[in-house]
Amino acid sequence: MADGVLSPGVNLEAFSQAIAAIQALRSSVTRVFDCLKDGMRNKETLEGREKGFVAAFQESLHSVSRDLGELERLSNLVGKPSENHPLHNSGLLSLDPVQDKTPLYSQLLQAYKWSNKLQYHAGLASGLLNQQSLKRSANQMGVSAKRRPKAQPTTLVLPPQAGLVATPELPILPHDSLREGSEKRIKDLFLLLRYVDDVINRIDRMFPEMSIQLSRPNGTSAMLLVTLGKVLKVIVVMRSLFIDRTIVKGYNENVYTDDGKLDIWSKSNYQVFQKVTDHATTALLHYQLPQMPDVVVRSFMTWLRSYIKLFQAPCQRCGKFLQDGLPPTWRDFRTLEAFHDTCRQ
Amino acid sequence: MLSKKLELLGAEKHGAFGVDCETYHTAAAISSQGQTGKLMYVMHNSEYPLSCFALFENGPCLIADANFDTLMVKLKGFFQNAKANKIESRGTRYQYCDFLVKVGTVTMGPSARGISVEVEYCPCVIANDCWNLLMEFMQSFMGSHTPSIPSVFGTKHDSIYSPADTMVQYMELFNKIRKQQQVPVAGIR
Ligand SMILES: [Zn+2]
Repeated sequence: MADGVLSPGVNLEAFSQAIAAIQALRSSVTRVFDCLKDGMRNKETLEGREKGFVAAFQESLHSVSRDLGELERLSNLVGKPSENHPLHNSGLLSLDPVQDKTPLYSQLLQAYKWSNKLQYHAGLASGLLNQQSLKRSANQMGVSAKRRPKAQPTTLVLPPQAGLVATPELPILPHDSLREGSEKRIKDLFLLLRYVDDVINRIDRMFPEMSIQLSRPNGTSAMLLVTLGKVLKVIVVMRSLFIDRTIVKGYNENVYTDDGKLDIWSKSNYQVFQKVTDHATTALLHYQLPQMPDVVVRSFMTWLRSYIKLFQAPCQRCGKFLQDGLPPTWRDFRTLEAFHDTCRQ
Repeated sequence: MLSKKLELLGAEKHGAFGVDCETYHTAAAISSQGQTGKLMYVMHNSEYPLSCFALFENGPCLIADANFDTLMVKLKGFFQNAKANKIESRGTRYQYCDFLVKVGTVTMGPSARGISVEVEYCPCVIANDCWNLLMEFMQSFMGSHTPSIPSVFGTKHDSIYSPADTMVQYMELFNKIRKQQQVPVAGIR
């Protein structure tokens, strides 16, 4: 088996000759040391003794250099083990006679196949994702707008009644405002923050059964904790006035991490709120109007408010409360009627 | 039979539970001062292992630490334990979606007296909000034995449901069971 694997790159004859040459080299080296160890033999004259020793020593050194030269010549003939083995040197692991005891080689092969597949699938997935990028915010819209000639700059139009300084247009993208002076940038940012606060406050006042707590733990982007009656709590992560992420949890569930921050990553322990979280994420994709983000936030909150009757409203289609142990978790985007996930049209 | 129906529905077994109730009479020293002898119930629920519930009939419910029991032993001059009246319910917990169902056998002394069924819908904190939903769920495995709305619901209105409300219902159920031999099935929360 070993021959079969090695043969393409290796001259087998030269190989066996080289092994013989190594043996010859070793024996000649041994002879050198034997000669040194024995020292001068007993001869009649001192001169004769010295002559005999030097001759013997010279001869043995010559044979060493001869054998070494032969080995060097042969080693060039032997050639290198094939470089184009698919697993390179690790392929040689298969030659290990201990292979039957350690599954190292087969495991290695499997890992290799697996990582190959992973790479392939990751490539496919990234291709698909690039095709279907969800352009739901003005930020991404801005990128595509640049390709169009004379595209309107992406700006958020402040309504005049917002009670702000008369700046008709407010850049919403930090990198847009980077071009201008830093003083104006800070002023713009300040205005934007006040505008977001203002929109959220107005929504908060609009719905008495809904309380909204706004916080900015990571600088400029706001996080909302929406408490709806005694039914549920929603964590809303915003980027300026665009909603990035929502998590719905039970009224009696903890929404904070151990260090007192809003926990934006863990999901609810209850199946019903996990379902509502999914639907809320769908709603974020449904309500989009990049030029009027405040309207989007208001529509989303109006839709969310319909969950106040999550446990009280029967399904509008089958008339029942439960289906597979879950209440009607879906709310129609226009009519706000309650449906089971499987009962919606 | 109930367990079978629950399992058919897709509910999964999730450990065991136990609720027990001991009855205490107020001692003569107090009742002679004009008060009528009141009954006090000291209850434990395996769902809240660190707590001990002390209830008066129609009266307040006190939630204390588990070592309340030793205090009661010290107070035996005032409260006397009616040992023969100890009643308890033990059985299996089932989980189905967000529902928690506890089916238990109620025993008083050596004899089994009936079956208790506790149904809890964990995501909802207002009992009145999810009553219809609970009814529908109970009908799915209890059929005609589905109970009518428990009395605690009437007094609760929109306040948040607490473990004490469960214990009050167990107390009422145990009292009913003491009085009559044949026992109805009771739905809780
Ligand atoms: Zn339905």
